[in-house]
Amino acid sequence: MSRIKEFNLPDLGEGLTEGEILAWLVKVGDTIELNQPIVEVETAKAAVEIPAKWGGVVTRIFHEAGAVCEVGQPIIAIDTDPTAPPVPGPSSPDSSASPASPASSASAASSEEAGAGLIGGPAPGGRTAVLVGYGPRTTSAKRRPRVGTGNENGHAPVAPAPTPVVPAPAPVVSTPAPVSPEPVVAAPVVVGGRAGAVLAKPPVRKLARDLGVDLTGVDGTGPLGSVTRDDVRRAAAPVVPASGPEALDLGSRERRIPVKGVRKLTAQNMVASAFTAPHVTEFLTVDVTRSMKTLAKLKAGREFADVRISPLLLVAKAVLLAAARHPMVNSTWSGETGEIVVKDYVNLGIAAATDRGLIVPNIKDAGRLGLRELAEALNTLVQVAKSGKTPPADMTGGTLSITNVGVFGIDSGTPILPPGESAILAFGAIRPMPWVHKGRIRPRQVTTLGLSFDHRIIDGELGSRFLRDIGTFLEDPSTAILSWT
Amino acid sequence: MITLGKALNHGLRRALEDDPKVVIMGEDVGKLGGVFRITDGLQKDFGENRVIDTPLAEAGIIGTAVGLAIRGYRPVCEIQFDGFVFPAYNQIVAQVAKMHYRSQGKVRLPIVIRIPFGGGIGAVEHHSESPEAYFAHTPGLKVVSCSNPADAYSMIQQAIASDDPVIFFEPKRRYWEKGEVDLSSALPAATPLHSARIVRPGTAATLLAYGPMVRVALDAASAAAEDGRELEVIDLRSLSPIDYPVIFESVRRTGRAVVVHEAPGNVGLGAEIAARITEECFYSLEAPVLRVTGYDIPYPAARVEEEYLPDLDRVLDAVDRSFGW
Amino acid sequence: MAKGESVAGTDIPAGGFVQLLTPDGERFDSVTTADGTTYSVDFTDEEYRELYRDLVTVRRLDTEAVALQRQGELGIWASLLGQEAAQVGSGRALRPQDMAFPTYREHGVLYTRGIDPIMPFGLFRGVDQGGWDPNEFRFNQYTIVIGSQTLHATGYAMGVTMDGKTGSADGEAVIAYFGDGATSQGEVNEAFVWSGVFNAPIVFFCQNNQYAISEPLERQTRVPLYQRAGGYGFPGIRVDGNDVLASYAVTRQALDNARTGQGPTLIEAYTYRMGAHTSSDDPTRYRIASEVEAWKAKDPISRLRAFLTKQKIVKKDFFAQVDDEATTKALDLRERVLAMPDPQPVTLFDHVYPNGSPELDRQRAVFTEYQASFEGSGH
Ligand SMILES: Cc1ncc(C[n+]2csc(CCOP(=O)(O)OP(=O)(O)O)c2C)c(N)n1
Ligand SMILES: [Mg+2]
Repeated sequence: MSRIKEFNLPDLGEGLTEGEILAWLVKVGDTIELNQPIVEVETAKAAVEIPAKWGGVVTRIFHEAGAVCEVGQPIIAIDTDPTAPPVPGPSSPDSSASPASPASSASAASSEEAGAGLIGGPAPGGRTAVLVGYGPRTTSAKRRPRVGTGNENGHAPVAPAPTPVVPAPAPVVSTPAPVSPEPVVAAPVVVGGRAGAVLAKPPVRKLARDLGVDLTGVDGTGPLGSVTRDDVRRAAAPVVPASGPEALDLGSRERRIPVKGVRKLTAQNMVASAFTAPHVTEFLTVDVTRSMKTLAKLKAGREFADVRISPLLLVAKAVLLAAARHPMVNSTWSGETGEIVVKDYVNLGIAAATDRGLIVPNIKDAGRLGLRELAEALNTLVQVAKSGKTPPADMTGGTLSITNVGVFGIDSGTPILPPGESAILAFGAIRPMPWVHKGRIRPRQVTTLGLSFDHRIIDGELGSRFLRDIGTFLEDPSTAILSWT
Repeated sequence: MITLGKALNHGLRRALEDDPKVVIMGEDVGKLGGVFRITDGLQKDFGENRVIDTPLAEAGIIGTAVGLAIRGYRPVCEIQFDGFVFPAYNQIVAQVAKMHYRSQGKVRLPIVIRIPFGGGIGAVEHHSESPEAYFAHTPGLKVVSCSNPADAYSMIQQAIASDDPVIFFEPKRRYWEKGEVDLSSALPAATPLHSARIVRPGTAATLLAYGPMVRVALDAASAAAEDGRELEVIDLRSLSPIDYPVIFESVRRTGRAVVVHEAPGNVGLGAEIAARITEECFYSLEAPVLRVTGYDIPYPAARVEEEYLPDLDRVLDAVDRSFGW
Repeated sequence: MAKGESVAGTDIPAGGFVQLLTPDGERFDSVTTADGTTYSVDFTDEEYRELYRDLVTVRRLDTEAVALQRQGELGIWASLLGQEAAQVGSGRALRPQDMAFPTYREHGVLYTRGIDPIMPFGLFRGVDQGGWDPNEFRFNQYTIVIGSQTLHATGYAMGVTMDGKTGSADGEAVIAYFGDGATSQGEVNEAFVWSGVFNAPIVFFCQNNQYAISEPLERQTRVPLYQRAGGYGFPGIRVDGNDVLASYAVTRQALDNARTGQGPTLIEAYTYRMGAHTSSDDPTRYRIASEVEAWKAKDPISRLRAFLTKQKIVKKDFFAQVDDEATTKALDLRERVLAMPDPQPVTLFDHVYPNGSPELDRQRAVFTEYQASFEGSGH
């Protein structure tokens, strides 16, 4: 047992990591008593005397008066049993005086004005002094590891556990529930007093209503026999003639892939969007030969020497400029508030196929980017998406999107709106096609644009003008720029 | 960067400068500058008639504020701690809240009642309570809570400028947290007093919090982001009225909501919010609205308060449960 | 006019007070007030020494508590420094059957009741909120909400009357402690009304330590506090709260009046809070050093010490011995405070209701399972 104890400068709290030693009231060799004032510490205005935590003989003073000392560092060593024979070896720091959460990242700070132990000043244990108690402490933004969760971070996996849950009288009130939801009662449950009522989650009920399915006739395969989305869809699908007695066992030749992650999210989003926003899709085929030439010039120029640029860049620019001319296309339908939220910034989404499925990361406030910046942003966005590392923040808040189906050699399509957005442009493959140019049939570079829009917000006329403007730009970017901007 | 407490101090100072009818009253608000130093230096600069050290009587503070308001003043009353508002409860609930209604609009009581609230400061009993639901439940009162220095600065001025009686809950454990505050900003530019704000956008679930719990919710959202789950965090800011459109819009997008507050869950604000979300966003919900709150017990002793208070882990536990539905 | 009542310089407030021991240790045999009551004490030498021992001990324990707070071992401490005489004097005046209702500062009264001084430390350390049985110790829970306990004391005293325990020399009396600031609270004034109306056997013992946190007495009253009693129909008296003998004598008399059925008394013990309001308060913001210095000269302990010395009531090494004993007690207290365990988290749910509630049982179960779900929870 070591008897030399080191006393550390009490943690002055977040933001203040050091304190000034104003004066030592004891010196090495002094015999001191418990609670004898040993040092005056100053933060800004008031000096506070710190009483000794142990009696004994001062063996070392680590910082002279005037020194600024870091919190948690020893300031004095006290031999608490000076009559005993000397003990070799390292001394043991006083752990109770060391900072409680040294790595805390929160922003609390002791007031610059108050002295140690005074209101707003540092208090022991990394707290800030208050009149009536220990004072607030800053906490860390890290999850505490939990048992038996099997993953590195030690807490419940993100993928929802398929554990069934009792829907109505579930453990939801005010307290943390057990890690896995309550075990299921085996017997059929009567919910809300409606005997035999069908169990289904709210969105499933909605889906059923939209598809015209009467839930009472559906056999539920979900927890407790509740009706799932798949049950509803099956019920909505045309009846397949029952196969004969010698029907093949095709089941063994089916593969079941759990629906989760991006696939699941995509499915939800698409269903949500398809069944809330009335979609209209319009098509426009345009001659983009001039665009391709512009692109070639840009590539040859110095400014774009080191960036990869593709026709998508010009399509993106076209969409941004056209949106600026028709702000209503860049809006959200907020049905229940009875409002249309029109945004004067465009977070431009680009649909990307990744190994994990479709994602639509977006470029924030893309309208404010110059062409070069836009090109860079597009490149990064696509690269990051392909590598599967798109940060979640990039996937939220999109306002207007493009899906580049052309890269798959497809001419066009009727894209589904990302939820909350009112327009999405499908950009098809660019092909040399016979085209009437200046009165004669010429091979021209031609593509088809497909624009889906939310008919609640965007009337046919507005949608058409918007699409037409995109087309106009792509037919002759330079002229469009000159006449629009 | 200034602390939340200092931001309130600046806001009060500006209100005193802007309107000679504004008076500050409370226990120890003058010479001492308040036990949290929120009114520091104000009596020195504005005098004892505008920054008034009152007798130790909360019913007196609010009762006389009513009279002052009838006379045309705009009293800003400080209740020293949440647990000491109750002697004034009668005045607030029976008089302040009803005056406009029963005078058929002839009497306005532009009174602000500042209450440092909530726990997490290691205090003895009566200094860590969250009584907001009592007031939010009372028609005629407006109830707000700030969570960061910038809001503290603007909201206190807006509350004082408001013709309604406003109960202004200050997150005392956050008094020393710092943030950018534009002290030159004109008030109309600030977010309206009774608007909620999305303080972190996300897609997976909506966390609703106010006052001291906003930081907890934000911390929880950062931790969740590391797991690839983007939580949206809404700072309610106003507890009565509640800015429901912002909440509904968010929950319809995410399909999940978790309300966080320190006050006990039973008949708390979370219950009301959950009910409203269920009514308005029923078909968007992937799971019931969950609550992470204090337990239904008196606020406990300091050394167990961290077990009582909602924290990052409890919030994320609720988020996990929501996804288990 | 009785000697003790003269207004002598700054020592004695306008209106005077009952004083039996001057700051210099001069002793008056007795003091007779305007209403004809004579106050005196009749202590044996050993009793004087006991009083001194009490004063020194409660101050020493208080000093230890202040240090423990500075070292982060207590969340807060409400120091009684300067108020020892008012507390020891009034506390010693209580008879075993009497009941006391303290604020949060009456550690000295608690000590004189023979209670282990560690009892309130759980509250200040934050491991509990008091947790003692008022009836067992004849000492109520500490009350932090200013003034509330005066009504509780009044009700308790009404119960004493209902039980027929007043009217004789061995009747019961109740004492309610509160501060100068508390006198502004409506509840305290209601307690005065009720006690007067029901002739309750109660003594209102107001320690006027001149401050309510930062606010000086002038923020609470225009008249000396003891004069308030007249308006409620019972006597009020001011005593030198730094004089343990007078504090004892006046309280003893008032308690006896109460127990014999003569109703309430308001005692204003005129004293001074020498320290900060609580551990983190900064009194330099609102009072000047010279004021504190002036009060130092009226220290309750030094005047009794001077008296004991002059009267040769003590042996040579008595004072050192008392200091040593007090230090031993303080160190023992320190050890025991440091050894106080943090409460088990699950106890959060205990004692909300006498017979529990199913909902809390559910919350407790969920909480327990949740706690056990963390690594290192030793589930
Ligand atoms: C109802 C209520 N209001 C405010 C407070 C905050 N507070 C605690 S002590 C105090 C001052 C009390 O002064 P006094 O009654 O003179 O007692 P002292 O502390 O001087 O012993 C105040 C305002 C409280 N505890 N209760
Ligand atoms: Mg006082």
